[in-house]
Amino acid sequence: MLSHEENHLLTHTKPGTPAGAYFRRYWLPALLAGEVPAPDCPPVRLRILGEDLIAFRDTQGRVGIVDEFCPHRRASLFWGRNEECGLRCVYHGWKFDTTGACIDMPNEPPEYGFDNKVRITAYPTREYGGLIWIYMGPTEHVPELPKLEWARVPETHRYISKRFQETNFLQAIEGGIDSSHSNFLHASVEAFRVTDDYVEKVKNSSNLRARYHLLDKAPRFTVKKTDYGLVIAVRRNAEEDTYYWRLTQFLLPSHTMIPYQKGLSIHGHCWVPRDDETCWVWTMSWNPDAPLSEEEWKAIREETFVHARVEPSTFRPLRNKDNNYQIDRSRQQTESMTGIHGFAAQDQALQESMGPAVDRTRERLGTSDTAIIAMRRLLLQEIRALQENQEPAAAHHGDVYWVRSASLVLKREVPFDEGARDLTVAEV
Amino acid sequence: MGLTGNGARIDGVNPAHIVAVRDFSSETLMAIAAHLDVSTDFEHLVYREAELDAVWSLSGFTLSQTQDSAVARLHEAAHRAHDLVGEGRPREAAALLRKFF
Repeated sequence: MLSHEENHLLTHTKPGTPAGAYFRRYWLPALLAGEVPAPDCPPVRLRILGEDLIAFRDTQGRVGIVDEFCPHRRASLFWGRNEECGLRCVYHGWKFDTTGACIDMPNEPPEYGFDNKVRITAYPTREYGGLIWIYMGPTEHVPELPKLEWARVPETHRYISKRFQETNFLQAIEGGIDSSHSNFLHASVEAFRVTDDYVEKVKNSSNLRARYHLLDKAPRFTVKKTDYGLVIAVRRNAEEDTYYWRLTQFLLPSHTMIPYQKGLSIHGHCWVPRDDETCWVWTMSWNPDAPLSEEEWKAIREETFVHARVEPSTFRPLRNKDNNYQIDRSRQQTESMTGIHGFAAQDQALQESMGPAVDRTRERLGTSDTAIIAMRRLLLQEIRALQENQEPAAAHHGDVYWVRSASLVLKREVPFDEGARDLTVAEV
Repeated sequence: MGLTGNGARIDGVNPAHIVAVRDFSSETLMAIAAHLDVSTDFEHLVYREAELDAVWSLSGFTLSQTQDSAVARLHEAAHRAHDLVGEGRPREAAALLRKFF
Protein backbone atom coordinates (compact mmCIF):
# COMPACT_ATOMS: atom_id res chain seq x y z
CA MET A 1 0.00 0.00 0.00
CA LEU A 2 0.91 3.63 -0.20
CA SER A 3 0.01 6.39 2.19
CA HIS A 4 -2.42 8.98 0.95
CA GLU A 5 0.44 11.48 0.75
CA GLU A 6 2.63 9.16 -1.32
CA ASN A 7 -0.24 8.29 -3.62
CA HIS A 8 -0.96 11.96 -4.16
CA LEU A 9 2.70 12.76 -4.70
CA LEU A 10 3.07 10.08 -7.38
CA THR A 11 -0.09 10.67 -9.33
CA HIS A 12 -0.45 14.44 -9.67
CA THR A 13 1.49 15.95 -12.53
CA LYS A 14 -0.09 19.32 -13.22
CA PRO A 15 2.13 22.42 -13.18
CA GLY A 16 3.51 23.13 -9.73
CA THR A 17 3.37 19.54 -8.48
CA PRO A 18 6.53 17.55 -7.57
CA ALA A 19 5.75 14.68 -9.96
CA GLY A 20 4.83 17.23 -12.60
CA ALA A 21 8.23 18.86 -12.16
CA TYR A 22 9.85 15.43 -12.49
CA PHE A 23 8.08 14.53 -15.74
CA ARG A 24 8.96 17.97 -17.03
CA ARG A 25 12.65 17.02 -16.87
CA TYR A 26 12.26 14.51 -19.73
CA TRP A 27 11.40 14.53 -23.40
CA LEU A 28 7.91 13.04 -23.66
CA PRO A 29 6.07 11.62 -26.67
CA ALA A 30 3.43 14.17 -27.63
CA LEU A 31 2.10 13.33 -31.11
CA LEU A 32 2.44 10.86 -33.91
CA ALA A 33 4.38 12.73 -36.58
CA GLY A 34 1.45 11.99 -38.89
CA GLU A 35 -0.88 14.10 -36.77
CA VAL A 36 0.84 17.19 -38.19
CA PRO A 37 1.78 15.64 -41.54
CA ALA A 38 2.70 18.64 -43.72
CA PRO A 39 3.67 22.31 -43.59
CA ASP A 40 0.73 24.59 -42.78
CA CYS A 41 -1.54 21.61 -42.03
CA PRO A 42 -4.40 22.07 -39.56
CA PRO A 43 -3.35 22.55 -35.93
CA VAL A 44 -4.25 19.86 -33.41
CA ARG A 45 -5.21 19.96 -29.76
CA LEU A 46 -3.39 17.96 -27.16
CA ARG A 47 -3.28 17.79 -23.38
CA ILE A 48 -0.16 16.67 -21.51
CA LEU A 49 0.58 16.94 -17.78
CA GLY A 50 -2.66 18.84 -17.36
CA GLU A 51 -1.74 21.55 -19.87
CA ASP A 52 -3.96 22.26 -22.87
CA LEU A 53 -1.78 22.84 -25.91
CA ILE A 54 -1.92 23.29 -29.66
CA ALA A 55 0.53 21.73 -32.08
CA PHE A 56 1.17 22.92 -35.61
CA ARG A 57 3.74 22.42 -38.34
CA ASP A 58 4.79 25.70 -39.87
CA THR A 59 5.57 26.54 -43.49
CA GLN A 60 9.17 25.43 -43.08
CA GLY A 61 8.19 22.11 -41.50
CA ARG A 62 9.07 23.06 -37.92
CA VAL A 63 6.68 21.77 -35.26
CA GLY A 64 5.50 24.17 -32.60
CA ILE A 65 3.59 23.26 -29.46
CA VAL A 66 2.09 26.26 -27.72
CA ASP A 67 -0.49 27.10 -25.07
CA GLU A 68 -3.95 26.47 -26.50
CA PHE A 69 -5.24 29.89 -25.57
CA CYS A 70 -4.36 33.19 -27.21
CA PRO A 71 -2.94 35.57 -24.58
CA HIS A 72 -5.17 38.36 -25.88
CA ARG A 73 -8.69 37.25 -25.00
CA ARG A 74 -8.03 33.57 -24.24
CA ALA A 75 -9.68 32.26 -27.40
CA SER A 76 -8.61 28.80 -28.49
CA LEU A 77 -5.90 28.66 -31.14
CA PHE A 78 -7.41 25.39 -32.33
CA TRP A 79 -9.47 27.63 -34.62
CA GLY A 80 -6.29 29.36 -35.75
CA ARG A 81 -5.08 29.67 -39.32
CA ASN A 82 -1.70 28.01 -39.92
CA GLU A 83 -0.07 30.34 -42.42
CA GLU A 84 3.32 31.73 -43.46
CA CYS A 85 5.43 30.46 -40.58
CA GLY A 86 2.96 31.08 -37.81
CA LEU A 87 -0.39 30.27 -36.27
CA ARG A 88 -2.83 33.17 -36.43
CA CYS A 89 -5.67 33.52 -33.96
CA VAL A 90 -8.74 34.14 -36.07
CA TYR A 91 -10.43 36.22 -33.36
CA HIS A 92 -8.29 39.38 -33.66
CA GLY A 93 -5.42 38.27 -35.86
CA TRP A 94 -2.57 37.86 -33.39
CA LYS A 95 0.00 35.48 -34.87
CA PHE A 96 2.62 33.31 -33.13
CA ASP A 97 5.62 31.41 -34.43
CA THR A 98 6.86 28.02 -33.20
CA THR A 99 8.98 29.67 -30.49
CA GLY A 100 5.94 31.43 -29.05
CA ALA A 101 6.91 34.90 -30.26
CA CYS A 102 4.05 37.12 -31.37
CA ILE A 103 5.05 38.08 -34.91
CA ASP A 104 1.97 40.01 -35.95
CA MET A 105 -0.67 41.98 -34.09
CA PRO A 106 -2.72 43.75 -36.75
CA ASN A 107 -5.36 45.18 -34.42
CA GLU A 108 -2.89 47.30 -32.40
CA PRO A 109 -1.19 50.46 -33.74
CA PRO A 110 2.31 49.40 -34.87
CA GLU A 111 3.95 52.35 -33.11
CA TYR A 112 3.01 50.81 -29.73
CA GLY A 113 5.31 47.84 -30.51
CA PHE A 114 2.94 45.68 -28.52
CA ASP A 115 3.68 42.60 -30.58
CA ASN A 116 7.35 42.64 -29.55
CA LYS A 117 6.35 42.36 -25.91
CA VAL A 118 3.91 39.47 -26.17
CA ARG A 119 4.77 35.78 -26.06
CA ILE A 120 2.73 32.66 -25.73
CA THR A 121 4.03 29.65 -23.79
CA ALA A 122 5.84 27.44 -26.30
CA TYR A 123 7.73 24.23 -25.64
CA PRO A 124 10.72 22.81 -27.50
CA THR A 125 9.92 19.89 -29.79
CA ARG A 126 11.90 17.19 -31.60
CA GLU A 127 10.87 14.81 -34.33
CA TYR A 128 12.34 11.41 -33.48
CA GLY A 129 11.35 7.82 -34.11
CA GLY A 130 8.13 8.72 -35.91
CA LEU A 131 6.91 10.87 -33.03
CA ILE A 132 6.90 14.51 -32.03
CA TRP A 133 8.48 14.84 -28.59
CA ILE A 134 7.99 17.72 -26.21
CA TYR A 135 10.11 19.13 -23.40
CA MET A 136 8.08 21.10 -20.87
CA GLY A 137 10.76 21.85 -18.28
CA PRO A 138 13.14 24.68 -17.49
CA THR A 139 15.34 25.83 -20.35
CA GLU A 140 18.51 25.38 -18.31
CA HIS A 141 17.88 21.64 -17.93
CA VAL A 142 17.05 20.48 -21.46
CA PRO A 143 17.64 16.70 -21.41
CA GLU A 144 18.93 14.29 -24.04
CA LEU A 145 16.53 12.28 -26.14
CA PRO A 146 16.45 8.68 -24.90
CA LYS A 147 18.37 6.31 -27.14
CA LEU A 148 15.52 3.84 -27.47
CA GLU A 149 15.91 1.03 -29.97
CA TRP A 150 12.45 1.43 -31.49
CA ALA A 151 13.21 5.06 -32.29
CA ARG A 152 16.36 4.07 -34.21
CA VAL A 153 15.02 1.35 -36.51
CA PRO A 154 13.86 2.17 -40.06
CA GLU A 155 10.20 3.11 -40.37
CA THR A 156 9.44 -0.17 -42.12
CA HIS A 157 10.65 -2.06 -39.04
CA ARG A 158 8.24 -0.51 -36.55
CA TYR A 159 4.64 0.35 -35.82
CA ILE A 160 3.56 2.85 -33.18
CA SER A 161 0.05 3.45 -31.96
CA LYS A 162 -1.43 5.89 -29.50
CA ARG A 163 -4.53 5.46 -27.40
CA PHE A 164 -6.41 7.43 -24.81
CA GLN A 165 -6.90 5.74 -21.47
CA GLU A 166 -9.29 6.93 -18.80
CA THR A 167 -7.00 6.35 -15.82
CA ASN A 168 -4.10 8.03 -14.15
CA PHE A 169 -0.80 7.05 -15.76
CA LEU A 170 0.48 5.18 -12.70
CA GLN A 171 -2.03 2.37 -12.71
CA ALA A 172 -1.39 1.96 -16.42
CA ILE A 173 2.36 1.54 -15.82
CA GLU A 174 1.60 -0.86 -13.00
CA GLY A 175 -0.24 -3.04 -15.48
CA GLY A 176 2.72 -2.85 -17.83
CA ILE A 177 5.19 -4.30 -15.33
CA ASP A 178 2.90 -6.73 -13.54
CA SER A 179 3.95 -10.04 -15.01
CA SER A 180 1.59 -12.22 -12.99
CA HIS A 181 -1.61 -10.74 -14.42
CA SER A 182 -1.01 -12.22 -17.84
CA ASN A 183 -1.54 -15.74 -16.49
CA PHE A 184 -5.13 -14.72 -15.91
CA LEU A 185 -6.21 -11.61 -17.79
CA HIS A 186 -4.62 -12.59 -21.09
CA ALA A 187 -5.06 -16.34 -20.83
CA SER A 188 -7.27 -18.64 -22.78
CA VAL A 189 -9.64 -20.76 -20.75
CA GLU A 190 -7.72 -23.93 -21.60
CA ALA A 191 -4.41 -22.33 -20.62
CA PHE A 192 -5.86 -21.13 -17.33
CA ARG A 193 -7.20 -24.59 -16.57
CA VAL A 194 -3.97 -26.19 -17.82
CA THR A 195 -5.94 -28.83 -19.67
CA ASP A 196 -4.20 -31.92 -21.02
CA ASP A 197 -4.95 -30.71 -24.52
CA TYR A 198 -3.26 -27.39 -23.80
CA VAL A 199 -0.15 -29.00 -22.32
CA GLU A 200 0.10 -31.32 -25.29
CA LYS A 201 -0.29 -28.40 -27.68
CA VAL A 202 2.45 -26.24 -26.16
CA LYS A 203 4.94 -28.78 -24.86
CA ASN A 204 7.16 -28.55 -27.90
CA SER A 205 6.37 -24.96 -28.88
CA SER A 206 9.29 -22.75 -29.82
CA ASN A 207 7.36 -19.84 -28.32
CA LEU A 208 8.60 -19.80 -24.75
CA ARG A 209 5.66 -17.78 -23.50
CA ALA A 210 3.22 -20.35 -24.80
CA ARG A 211 5.31 -23.20 -23.51
CA TYR A 212 6.09 -22.10 -19.98
CA HIS A 213 4.46 -18.85 -19.04
CA LEU A 214 0.97 -20.02 -18.30
CA LEU A 215 1.94 -23.23 -16.56
CA ASP A 216 3.53 -21.61 -13.51
CA LYS A 217 1.01 -19.18 -12.11
CA ALA A 218 3.05 -18.05 -9.11
CA PRO A 219 6.22 -16.53 -10.54
CA ARG A 220 9.12 -15.30 -8.40
CA PHE A 221 10.25 -11.69 -8.78
CA THR A 222 13.66 -10.10 -8.63
CA VAL A 223 14.29 -6.40 -9.24
CA LYS A 224 17.50 -4.53 -9.86
CA LYS A 225 17.99 -0.79 -9.90
CA THR A 226 19.83 0.38 -13.00
CA ASP A 227 20.99 3.61 -14.64
CA TYR A 228 17.76 3.83 -16.61
CA GLY A 229 15.36 2.63 -13.93
CA LEU A 230 14.66 -1.00 -13.14
CA VAL A 231 15.07 -4.41 -14.64
CA ILE A 232 12.38 -6.74 -13.42
CA ALA A 233 13.23 -10.42 -13.69
CA VAL A 234 10.40 -12.88 -13.33
CA ARG A 235 11.21 -16.53 -12.88
CA ARG A 236 8.94 -19.45 -13.66
CA ASN A 237 9.65 -23.14 -13.51
CA ALA A 238 10.51 -24.61 -16.91
CA GLU A 239 12.05 -28.09 -17.00
CA GLU A 240 13.44 -29.91 -13.97
CA ASP A 241 16.82 -28.22 -14.23
CA THR A 242 15.82 -24.92 -15.85
CA TYR A 243 13.89 -21.74 -15.21
CA TYR A 244 12.00 -19.62 -17.71
CA TRP A 245 13.01 -16.00 -17.16
CA ARG A 246 11.19 -12.93 -18.41
CA LEU A 247 13.08 -9.66 -18.14
CA THR A 248 11.27 -6.39 -18.53
CA GLN A 249 12.56 -2.87 -18.11
CA PHE A 250 11.00 0.13 -16.48
CA LEU A 251 12.77 3.14 -17.95
CA LEU A 252 12.38 6.52 -16.34
CA PRO A 253 10.11 8.32 -16.30
CA SER A 254 7.47 5.98 -17.77
CA HIS A 255 8.68 3.61 -20.51
CA THR A 256 8.30 -0.17 -20.26
CA MET A 257 9.27 -3.11 -22.43
CA ILE A 258 7.53 -6.43 -22.84
CA PRO A 259 9.83 -9.47 -22.59
CA TYR A 260 11.16 -10.28 -26.01
CA GLN A 261 12.09 -13.61 -27.50
CA LYS A 262 14.85 -13.57 -30.10
CA GLY A 263 13.37 -13.89 -33.58
CA LEU A 264 10.01 -12.31 -32.76
CA SER A 265 9.18 -8.60 -32.77
CA ILE A 266 9.69 -6.50 -29.64
CA HIS A 267 6.97 -4.50 -27.95
CA GLY A 268 7.05 -1.63 -25.51
CA HIS A 269 5.00 1.19 -24.09
CA CYS A 270 5.34 4.73 -22.92
CA TRP A 271 2.68 6.01 -20.53
CA VAL A 272 2.33 9.78 -20.55
CA PRO A 273 0.10 11.61 -18.09
CA ARG A 274 -2.56 13.56 -19.96
CA ASP A 275 -3.94 14.92 -16.72
CA ASP A 276 -4.44 13.37 -13.29
CA GLU A 277 -7.27 11.12 -14.45
CA THR A 278 -6.31 10.16 -18.00
CA CYS A 279 -3.17 9.18 -19.85
CA TRP A 280 -1.76 8.54 -23.31
CA VAL A 281 -0.69 4.98 -23.95
CA TRP A 282 2.00 4.77 -26.61
CA THR A 283 2.59 1.27 -27.92
CA MET A 284 5.61 0.37 -30.03
CA SER A 285 6.28 -2.83 -31.94
CA TRP A 286 9.55 -3.23 -33.76
CA ASN A 287 11.81 -5.75 -35.39
CA PRO A 288 15.45 -4.69 -35.18
CA ASP A 289 16.49 -6.96 -38.04
CA ALA A 290 13.82 -6.73 -40.72
CA PRO A 291 10.61 -5.03 -41.81
CA LEU A 292 7.58 -6.14 -39.84
CA SER A 293 6.27 -9.37 -41.31
CA GLU A 294 2.80 -9.96 -42.71
CA GLU A 295 2.04 -12.01 -39.60
CA GLU A 296 3.00 -9.07 -37.41
CA TRP A 297 0.88 -6.66 -39.46
CA LYS A 298 -2.03 -9.09 -39.19
CA ALA A 299 -1.75 -9.07 -35.38
CA ILE A 300 -1.77 -5.26 -35.47
CA ARG A 301 -4.76 -5.07 -37.84
CA GLU A 302 -6.74 -7.64 -35.90
CA GLU A 303 -5.86 -6.12 -32.49
CA THR A 304 -4.91 -9.51 -31.12
CA PHE A 305 -2.01 -8.30 -29.04
CA VAL A 306 -0.88 -4.89 -27.80
CA HIS A 307 -2.40 -2.48 -30.31
CA ALA A 308 -6.01 -1.32 -30.36
CA ARG A 309 -8.06 0.39 -33.02
CA VAL A 310 -9.04 3.91 -32.04
CA GLU A 311 -11.33 6.72 -33.07
CA PRO A 312 -8.93 8.76 -35.26
CA SER A 313 -9.47 12.23 -33.83
CA THR A 314 -9.69 11.41 -30.11
CA PHE A 315 -7.57 8.23 -30.05
CA ARG A 316 -10.18 6.66 -27.80
CA PRO A 317 -10.27 2.90 -28.44
CA LEU A 318 -13.30 1.61 -30.31
CA ARG A 319 -13.62 -0.99 -27.55
CA ASN A 320 -14.19 1.23 -24.53
CA LYS A 321 -16.10 1.41 -21.29
CA ASP A 322 -19.21 2.82 -22.97
CA ASN A 323 -19.67 -0.44 -24.86
CA ASN A 324 -18.18 -2.67 -22.14
CA TYR A 325 -15.17 -3.19 -24.39
CA GLN A 326 -17.44 -5.29 -26.61
CA ILE A 327 -17.27 -8.16 -24.18
CA ASP A 328 -18.58 -11.45 -25.52
CA ARG A 329 -19.85 -13.48 -22.58
CA SER A 330 -20.19 -16.67 -24.59
CA ARG A 331 -16.52 -16.46 -25.58
CA GLN A 332 -15.69 -15.85 -21.94
CA GLN A 333 -17.28 -19.21 -21.15
CA THR A 334 -15.44 -21.13 -23.80
CA GLU A 335 -12.39 -19.30 -25.14
CA SER A 336 -10.77 -16.46 -23.22
CA MET A 337 -10.76 -15.49 -19.57
CA THR A 338 -12.24 -12.08 -20.34
CA GLY A 339 -14.34 -12.46 -23.45
CA ILE A 340 -12.73 -9.18 -24.51
CA HIS A 341 -10.75 -9.20 -27.72
CA GLY A 342 -7.07 -8.18 -27.63
CA PHE A 343 -4.55 -7.64 -24.87
CA ALA A 344 -4.80 -3.85 -25.12
CA ALA A 345 -8.55 -3.79 -24.53
CA GLN A 346 -8.24 -6.40 -21.77
CA ASP A 347 -5.69 -4.27 -19.94
CA GLN A 348 -7.66 -1.10 -20.47
CA ALA A 349 -10.91 -2.66 -19.24
CA LEU A 350 -9.45 -3.81 -15.96
CA GLN A 351 -7.36 -0.72 -15.34
CA GLU A 352 -10.27 1.62 -16.05
CA SER A 353 -12.51 -0.48 -13.80
CA MET A 354 -10.26 0.57 -10.88
CA GLY A 355 -11.45 4.16 -11.31
CA PRO A 356 -9.57 7.10 -12.75
CA ALA A 357 -7.10 7.23 -9.85
CA VAL A 358 -7.01 4.18 -7.63
CA ASP A 359 -6.90 4.65 -3.86
CA ARG A 360 -3.71 2.80 -2.99
CA THR A 361 -4.33 3.08 0.75
CA ARG A 362 -7.01 0.40 0.31
CA GLU A 363 -5.15 -2.14 -1.80
CA ARG A 364 -3.90 -5.50 -0.53
CA LEU A 365 -0.54 -6.29 -2.07
CA GLY A 366 1.50 -9.46 -1.83
CA THR A 367 4.99 -10.50 -2.81
CA SER A 368 3.85 -11.00 -6.42
CA ASP A 369 3.52 -7.20 -6.54
CA THR A 370 7.23 -6.66 -5.99
CA ALA A 371 7.76 -5.00 -9.37
CA ILE A 372 4.97 -2.52 -8.72
CA ILE A 373 6.36 -1.70 -5.29
CA ALA A 374 9.83 -1.20 -6.75
CA MET A 375 8.61 1.10 -9.52
CA ARG A 376 6.64 3.27 -7.09
CA ARG A 377 9.54 3.43 -4.65
CA LEU A 378 11.97 4.41 -7.41
CA LEU A 379 9.68 7.14 -8.73
CA LEU A 380 9.14 8.45 -5.20
CA GLN A 381 12.92 8.56 -4.66
CA GLU A 382 13.44 10.37 -7.94
CA ILE A 383 10.68 12.89 -7.31
CA ARG A 384 11.91 13.62 -3.80
CA ALA A 385 15.50 13.94 -5.03
CA LEU A 386 14.41 16.57 -7.53
CA GLN A 387 12.64 18.40 -4.72
CA GLU A 388 16.11 18.51 -3.12
CA ASN A 389 17.52 19.92 -6.38
CA GLN A 390 19.11 16.65 -7.54
CA GLU A 391 18.50 16.51 -11.27
CA PRO A 392 17.45 13.08 -12.67
CA ALA A 393 20.55 11.48 -14.15
CA ALA A 394 18.78 9.36 -16.77
CA ALA A 395 17.30 12.48 -18.38
CA HIS A 396 20.81 13.63 -19.27
CA HIS A 397 22.23 10.29 -20.38
CA GLY A 398 20.25 9.12 -23.39
CA ASP A 399 22.65 6.21 -23.92
CA VAL A 400 21.41 4.38 -20.83
CA TYR A 401 18.17 3.62 -22.69
CA TRP A 402 20.02 1.36 -25.13
CA VAL A 403 18.59 -1.84 -23.70
CA ARG A 404 16.26 -4.60 -24.73
CA SER A 405 13.88 -6.87 -22.86
CA ALA A 406 14.41 -10.63 -22.98
CA SER A 407 12.87 -13.97 -22.26
CA LEU A 408 14.93 -17.10 -22.09
CA VAL A 409 15.44 -20.45 -20.42
CA LEU A 410 18.47 -20.80 -18.19
CA LYS A 411 19.95 -23.56 -16.08
CA ARG A 412 18.71 -23.11 -12.55
CA GLU A 413 22.15 -22.30 -11.20
CA VAL A 414 22.76 -19.44 -13.69
CA PRO A 415 21.87 -15.95 -12.42
CA PHE A 416 19.58 -14.16 -14.84
CA ASP A 417 21.79 -11.12 -15.24
CA GLU A 418 24.70 -13.29 -16.32
CA GLY A 419 22.66 -15.55 -18.57
CA ALA A 420 20.85 -12.70 -20.29
CA ARG A 421 23.72 -10.22 -20.55
CA ASP A 422 24.11 -10.42 -24.33
CA LEU A 423 20.38 -10.40 -24.98
CA THR A 424 19.55 -7.25 -23.07
CA VAL A 425 21.63 -4.86 -25.16
CA ALA A 426 19.95 -3.21 -28.13
CA GLU A 427 21.58 -3.93 -31.48
CA VAL A 428 20.46 -1.56 -34.19
CA MET B 1 20.24 -20.87 15.17
CA GLY B 2 18.93 -22.76 12.16
CA LEU B 3 15.26 -21.84 12.59
CA THR B 4 13.27 -21.90 9.39
CA GLY B 5 10.40 -19.51 8.89
CA ASN B 6 8.49 -20.26 5.71
CA GLY B 7 11.61 -21.24 3.89
CA ALA B 8 13.91 -18.52 5.11
CA ARG B 9 16.71 -19.43 7.46
CA ILE B 10 17.37 -17.02 10.28
CA ASP B 11 21.07 -17.75 10.26
CA GLY B 12 22.87 -16.92 7.03
CA VAL B 13 20.02 -14.63 6.06
CA ASN B 14 20.11 -13.49 2.45
CA PRO B 15 18.41 -10.11 2.02
CA ALA B 16 18.01 -10.75 -1.71
CA HIS B 17 15.63 -13.59 -0.88
CA ILE B 18 11.93 -12.80 -0.54
CA VAL B 19 10.31 -14.47 2.46
CA ALA B 20 7.27 -16.45 1.40
CA VAL B 21 4.53 -14.87 3.48
CA ARG B 22 1.72 -17.38 3.80
CA ASP B 23 0.62 -16.31 7.28
CA PHE B 24 1.56 -13.92 10.05
CA SER B 25 2.89 -16.54 12.44
CA SER B 26 5.82 -15.87 14.74
CA GLU B 27 8.04 -17.83 12.37
CA THR B 28 7.11 -15.64 9.46
CA LEU B 29 7.57 -12.43 11.46
CA MET B 30 10.94 -13.67 12.74
CA ALA B 31 12.08 -14.38 9.21
CA ILE B 32 11.02 -10.95 7.99
CA ALA B 33 12.68 -9.24 10.98
CA ALA B 34 15.90 -11.14 10.35
CA HIS B 35 15.86 -10.04 6.73
CA LEU B 36 15.12 -6.46 7.75
CA ASP B 37 18.19 -6.47 9.96
CA VAL B 38 20.51 -7.13 7.03
CA SER B 39 18.73 -5.17 4.31
CA THR B 40 20.63 -2.23 2.94
CA ASP B 41 20.11 -1.89 -0.82
CA PHE B 42 17.16 -0.50 -2.73
CA GLU B 43 16.26 -4.00 -3.88
CA HIS B 44 16.33 -5.43 -0.37
CA LEU B 45 14.04 -2.72 0.94
CA VAL B 46 11.61 -3.33 -1.90
CA TYR B 47 11.43 -7.03 -0.95
CA ARG B 48 10.90 -6.16 2.70
CA GLU B 49 8.17 -3.73 1.75
CA ALA B 50 6.49 -6.46 -0.28
CA GLU B 51 6.67 -8.89 2.66
CA LEU B 52 5.21 -6.31 5.05
CA ASP B 53 2.53 -5.49 2.51
CA ALA B 54 1.64 -9.17 2.53
CA VAL B 55 1.52 -9.33 6.35
CA TRP B 56 -0.66 -6.23 6.40
CA SER B 57 -2.94 -7.70 3.73
CA LEU B 58 -3.29 -11.08 5.46
CA SER B 59 -3.92 -9.55 8.88
CA GLY B 60 -6.42 -7.20 7.26
CA PHE B 61 -8.29 -10.12 5.73
CA THR B 62 -8.44 -11.76 9.15
CA LEU B 63 -9.73 -8.59 10.77
CA SER B 64 -12.49 -8.35 8.19
CA GLN B 65 -13.73 -11.75 9.46
CA THR B 66 -13.22 -11.38 13.17
CA GLN B 67 -12.23 -8.71 15.67
CA ASP B 68 -9.05 -9.72 17.44
CA SER B 69 -7.13 -7.08 19.30
CA ALA B 70 -3.77 -8.85 18.89
CA VAL B 71 -4.26 -9.11 15.14
CA ALA B 72 -5.39 -5.50 15.04
CA ARG B 73 -2.17 -4.44 16.78
CA LEU B 74 -0.10 -6.48 14.38
CA HIS B 75 -1.99 -5.00 11.44
CA GLU B 76 -1.15 -1.52 12.64
CA ALA B 77 2.45 -2.47 13.35
CA ALA B 78 2.86 -3.97 9.88
CA HIS B 79 1.63 -0.69 8.43
CA ARG B 80 4.08 1.30 10.52
CA ALA B 81 6.93 -1.09 9.77
CA HIS B 82 6.12 -0.82 6.06
CA ASP B 83 6.35 2.96 6.27
CA LEU B 84 9.64 2.74 8.17
CA VAL B 85 11.07 0.61 5.38
CA GLY B 86 9.86 3.20 2.88
CA GLU B 87 11.75 5.78 4.90
CA GLY B 88 14.92 3.66 4.77
CA ARG B 89 14.73 2.56 8.44
CA PRO B 90 14.58 -1.25 8.24
CA ARG B 91 16.13 -1.98 11.61
CA GLU B 92 13.48 0.10 13.36
CA ALA B 93 10.89 -1.87 11.42
CA ALA B 94 12.47 -5.11 12.63
CA ALA B 95 12.34 -3.93 16.22
CA LEU B 96 8.66 -3.17 15.81
CA LEU B 97 7.95 -6.66 14.49
CA ARG B 98 9.90 -8.28 17.32
CA LYS B 99 7.25 -7.12 19.76
CA PHE B 100 4.99 -9.75 18.21
CA PHE B 101 7.04 -12.88 18.73
